[in-house]
Amino acid sequence: MSDWEPKIVSFLCNWCSYGAADLAGVGRMQYPANIRVVRIPCTGRMSPKFALAALREGADGVWVSG
Amino acid sequence: MVTFKLNGKTVQGEEGQYILQVAEKYGVDIPTLCHHKALEPAGMCRLCTVELFDGRRSRFVTSCNYPIWEGMEINTDTEEVIKGRKLIVEMLLARCPDVTLLQDLAKEYGIDSPRFKTEDNDCILCGLCTRMCEKIGNNAISLTGRGVEMKVDTPFQAQTDFCMACGACASVCPTGHITLEKIKAEITTQKPQLIKSEYDMGLCGRKPIYVPYAQAVPNTPAIDRDVCIHFKTDGCKVCTEFCGVNAIDHSMKDEIIEVNVGSIILAPGFEPFDPSGLDNYSYADHPNVITAMEYERILSASGPTEGHLVRASDHKEPEKIAWFQCVGSRDMNKCDNSYCSSVCCMYAIKEAVISKEHADYDLDCAVFYMDMRTHGKDFERFYNSAKDEHGVRFLRSRVHTVNPIKDSDDLEVRYVAEDGEIITEVFDMIVLSVGLQTSPETIQLADKLGIELTEGNFTKTSTFEPVATSKEGIFVCGAFQGPRDIPQAVVDSSAAAAAAGMMLKEARNTATTEKEVVPEINVTGERPRIGVFVCRCGINIAGVVDVPAVRDYVSTLPFVEYVDDNLYSCSQDTQEAMAGIIKKEKLNRVIVAACTPKTHEPLFQDTLLDAGLNKYLFEMANIRNHDSWVHKDDPDAATNKAKDLVRMAVAKAALIQPLEEAELQVNQTALVIGGGISGMIAAKNLAGQGYETHLVEREAELGGQAKNIYKTSSGEDVQKNLSGLIDETVKNDKIKVHLDANLKDVEGFVGNFKTTLASDGSDETIEHGIAVMATGAAGLKPDEYSYGKDARILTSLELDRKFIEKDASLKDVGSAVFIQCVGSRDTDRPYCSRVCCTHSIDNALELKKLNPDMNVYILYRDIRTYGEKEYLYKKAREAGVIFIRYSLDNKPVVTIEDGRMMITAQDHVLGMPVKIEADLITLASAIVPYKDEKLAQFFKVPLNEDGLFVEKHAKLGPSEFSTDGVFLCGLAHYPKPIDEAIAQGQAAASRAITLLARETIHTSGTVAKTNPADCSACGVCVSVCPYSAPSFIDADARMFPGKAQINSVLCKGCGLCVASCRSGAIALQGFDNEQIFSQISALCEAV
Amino acid sequence: MLEYNDKIRAAAKRLLKEGVVDMVIGFKKGTMPMMNEPCLIKRPEDADTLVWDANCGINLANYIVGRKEKIGIVAKGCDSRNIVTHITENKIERDQLYIIGIPCRGMIDKTAVTNLCEGEITSVVCESDTVKVAGNDFEKKIPVSDVMQANCSVCIHRNPVIYDELAGEEVVEQTDVDRYADVEKIDSMSTEEKWNYFEDMFSACIRCYACKNACPLCYCPTCFVDEAKPQWVGKSQDKIDIRTFHFLRAYHCAGRCTDCGACERACPVGIKMKTLTKKMEKDCFDMYGWEAGLSLDQRPPLDTFKPDDPEAFIK
Repeated sequence: MSDWEPKIVSFLCNWCSYGAADLAGVGRMQYPANIRVVRIPCTGRMSPKFALAALREGADGVWVSG
Repeated sequence: MVTFKLNGKTVQGEEGQYILQVAEKYGVDIPTLCHHKALEPAGMCRLCTVELFDGRRSRFVTSCNYPIWEGMEINTDTEEVIKGRKLIVEMLLARCPDVTLLQDLAKEYGIDSPRFKTEDNDCILCGLCTRMCEKIGNNAISLTGRGVEMKVDTPFQAQTDFCMACGACASVCPTGHITLEKIKAEITTQKPQLIKSEYDMGLCGRKPIYVPYAQAVPNTPAIDRDVCIHFKTDGCKVCTEFCGVNAIDHSMKDEIIEVNVGSIILAPGFEPFDPSGLDNYSYADHPNVITAMEYERILSASGPTEGHLVRASDHKEPEKIAWFQCVGSRDMNKCDNSYCSSVCCMYAIKEAVISKEHADYDLDCAVFYMDMRTHGKDFERFYNSAKDEHGVRFLRSRVHTVNPIKDSDDLEVRYVAEDGEIITEVFDMIVLSVGLQTSPETIQLADKLGIELTEGNFTKTSTFEPVATSKEGIFVCGAFQGPRDIPQAVVDSSAAAAAAGMMLKEARNTATTEKEVVPEINVTGERPRIGVFVCRCGINIAGVVDVPAVRDYVSTLPFVEYVDDNLYSCSQDTQEAMAGIIKKEKLNRVIVAACTPKTHEPLFQDTLLDAGLNKYLFEMANIRNHDSWVHKDDPDAATNKAKDLVRMAVAKAALIQPLEEAELQVNQTALVIGGGISGMIAAKNLAGQGYETHLVEREAELGGQAKNIYKTSSGEDVQKNLSGLIDETVKNDKIKVHLDANLKDVEGFVGNFKTTLASDGSDETIEHGIAVMATGAAGLKPDEYSYGKDARILTSLELDRKFIEKDASLKDVGSAVFIQCVGSRDTDRPYCSRVCCTHSIDNALELKKLNPDMNVYILYRDIRTYGEKEYLYKKAREAGVIFIRYSLDNKPVVTIEDGRMMITAQDHVLGMPVKIEADLITLASAIVPYKDEKLAQFFKVPLNEDGLFVEKHAKLGPSEFSTDGVFLCGLAHYPKPIDEAIAQGQAAASRAITLLARETIHTSGTVAKTNPADCSACGVCVSVCPYSAPSFIDADARMFPGKAQINSVLCKGCGLCVASCRSGAIALQGFDNEQIFSQISALCEAV
Repeated sequence: MLEYNDKIRAAAKRLLKEGVVDMVIGFKKGTMPMMNEPCLIKRPEDADTLVWDANCGINLANYIVGRKEKIGIVAKGCDSRNIVTHITENKIERDQLYIIGIPCRGMIDKTAVTNLCEGEITSVVCESDTVKVAGNDFEKKIPVSDVMQANCSVCIHRNPVIYDELAGEEVVEQTDVDRYADVEKIDSMSTEEKWNYFEDMFSACIRCYACKNACPLCYCPTCFVDEAKPQWVGKSQDKIDIRTFHFLRAYHCAGRCTDCGACERACPVGIKMKTLTKKMEKDCFDMYGWEAGLSLDQRPPLDTFKPDDPEAFIK
């Protein structure tokens, strides 16, 4: 279990969190590479269906930010 | 080209290159300790030794400085070579046993401990430092002595003037032999100083080549010529060796550019007051006394402490922080700024609240103030919540001195509490709420331009032309016009644009060129042919992510017909090449795996347009900002992630469709609702810029509240100016005034509104492209302080009426009392009416002018004469107006006995009740908006709980609504004096013209669309949309009556309706369910 | 509750005779005990088939969706709240309806009754406080409180919230009930306990969709379970598919569910899927002070966008 790494799907709002993730890059802030970002136009777009779909497809965690 | 063999493979290099350079190009790793890209090779460390076969025999050469020649054979990792290197490492380790770099190398070569006698040195004599110093154009250090005596040293082994303490030697030293401390102690005689980061308020340093801050536009590094060594010695230029695109040109000169303009807008801003000169606050000599601007940086996630709230002296989390208000404002003793800076109360509260929210422990925040000035929209609420919910302490006291506590980093503050008690408190940090002032450079600029300034060195403007300077054609906005916060600065900037626009009307569109449009290729129904461009971004991506591996992987993905990698995808030549490839390969979907769509999507979409593709057939994979930059230490994971991200993009791209951007005509007519000052100004500006304007007023005459006002705080006659404005409005042939008119119905949306007006019993329909809400507000009729029971008790406006009518009885008043905050700042109306303090003080002075012997009292809670209105407050005190403060829980009491009016109030200085007999009582009653819910409904714009309209953005969009095509000005936005109402009238016109001037509007392709067959007509979309884009299809429509439809002009593409639709009847084009779902599935597939 | 029968019948007869409505939706006696059937009568002479007792748990609001006729409908508290929801969601117009309101005293849980008796039940008669159950070889009286539907025993809106006439005096609303004890019990479980609890609960599901068909809130032309592009949820008995179905169904009821219990009543395998909707109901109450179906002027919290939403749940 020790080398298990979670697969995290994140849904980020284009206007804030996606841009913030960009800025984290500009600032060279280092973080683990387990996150895959799906860009959505606004967290208003986020549907519970997406979260369930991600989990169903094998994600270990879902992160919504916006 | 020189061709030779490297480890058995045929390789090529340029004539004159060294082996090491060619090896690097081919990805063959040769260890070295003394090589530097920008420096001439010296062959000092010998670690890069390789085996050379010249056709007859083998020998060993140092690869860093051995030039290549045709037919040579090089081997970099033969047993002999490795044996030789091991010996070199062993000897170096014996010389410098404590150097980590060598310890690591030793481990790599399997050396436990050197067999030779160990020494106690940390210099490996690589010569990087001395060569770098030479390159810099200096020779402050060199290798001295011979053989075992050799070392790095200064001339005569003494500290030298030659060393400029640039630190270049330390930056290249591989072992830590030379450090900045050592430079200071042993090498230079100069005093090296940090290059202070302007952005971080000098709290940390920056490099001579720097991007001012992460969001800077343009986001291009600049060279600071004042500190760059090249400009001192003519040497160095090391940076040019590292720039992959040769963008650095040290020979660039400042250019003088002459431009012909018809108008100038000044927006030079302010400088924060520098408290270094104040000896009583210890700012200059105590690290824990900082300015509010410095504190902002400490709170910021991009600041020097990455947002961790710690104090400078010992990096301890502070437990008690004090803010001192009015540092460099309202002060003639310690500085010359007698005005109020307007913004400091609010920012101090904000900082205190953020600090409290930020700290996960019990942080004590105390704000020391004189008057709390939260006169902006929703500011009073914020102040109340800071006090009541966040527990910020507000102490009405001006602290005289800060005493640093000996043998501690804390600071002692002695102050007088409201009850007169002297209290001593210790704080961990003190934040000085510094004021705003005009910089000397700006004063010079004003002098050069010949514009007049005020006594506070702000631009002199008039109430009725608030953004015009004393010189025609030059306008001003922002803090140079007077200290102000963001919303007001934004209003003024739009107003200045409107004023300039009116002057330049004739010149509009005379200097524009149109872009050539490539006809769009129809790709509907085609099988996806996806082209993927993987960007190396120099080394930004390729330095971490294995770009060739990503490229090769992508070629295996479905529908991918073309893939390549680029050095810089965004460069001009690559763009042209890409357009060519799209055409040649007949690509119908394009993906760029590079940086972020936030900055580069529009650029690549233009390339698609140039290649004849619909711009929505584009997708980006963010493998830089979200990958290579943030996973530098894990290249394998970063490469895998890049593959995942591109795979997701490919999955989505296969499903994307060309989208249409519909074009709509914008009706070139404006409708302004409300014929008060701000409405008239908006109409005048719209008409002045060439647009037919309808001005609707519900009353029988124009003028609004201004009809009741005597004069402005700067002394201008309101009635005279108002009648002039009314006259101009009525006579303007582009303005059609509708009096006694009400709105009966409004249909349509941005660009195409249809409004039905009812006046005189008949209806009239007006078609218009935009609408301005200038519906105003009214003065409150108070129900307290015996108002209405005695003719001598007036509201402020009623007193103005007496002034306007030159009422002779005013002269005979012996004692006049003003009561402030009547109906404002209480539970019913928890907002400040903004104008009343200034107005009452101004009227108090007016009464004093009529009769200097009159006793005039002002009963107040906080005096809010913000900006340069503060002068009036000072003048009133000097004129003998008596100010008595009261509190909300102990309001003054008015009694009328036998015709005598008595007022009892608690005096805050004496701490006991005072009784005043008054001949005149003026109630500074609140400004109350009309709360016109019907109008709000008509234009689908929101009202807040106070009944004021809610603007698009409290700071950045004060004069417009989030509903497109509807704008806002005047008292309907928030109580404000005439100059601010006029500026906002101009601002609303300015914002409206940005739309009208376009003549057509394009809808975005990324909008929601309903499928009426799936719609259950439940109305969630209609209810939930913040932009009123969805509606029901007419009940008598032939197809799908009652089902939902979405107006693509109003839709902002947020997708809220799509996610809310239970029936799955709405699709968001460009971010549709299927597309996002495909990304999710692609993401979770195993690589 | 039997006394309501006369009034319901009289009203139905009158409404049909006078042409006020085209039909009346109510209950008729079922062919089996405790299984009253919804019925739709169009002739005044059929009015006498209408009945009312504690076996009328089916939510009649389900039968008015999208109808164009004028309808008389018999509605207890929860039915009336769902009618309100239907009106706000444009499923029917208020003036199409004539609501015969029933002050409700709670419905009985047929499974609970069955569990208390051995042998086949042939007759169940509801009296005010007791239920008289008879079989081939037994007869017994059970206190109503022992067999009341779980949702009814904590109901605080027994009287209809809108009606045109009432079939009886308003009943006193319950006040001292612990409405969310069941939700709180699950909230207090550890993650693992919750996992096991729900795993066990859903294990019996056969995806018959009876719950969604009985629910008045479910009226979309195409249900998400049937969507193919994309296919949100598989058609199988796979655990993930079952959970996805139940979770999304519950989400669709957020802010709209009146806890009428139609779903659980319809479930042939006894799944307590109301656990999910009730959690939503509680959240809506806690976060927005919202109870579904009480007002014709307001839409559920998740249907609205307010710029001044405190969004307290984010902080």
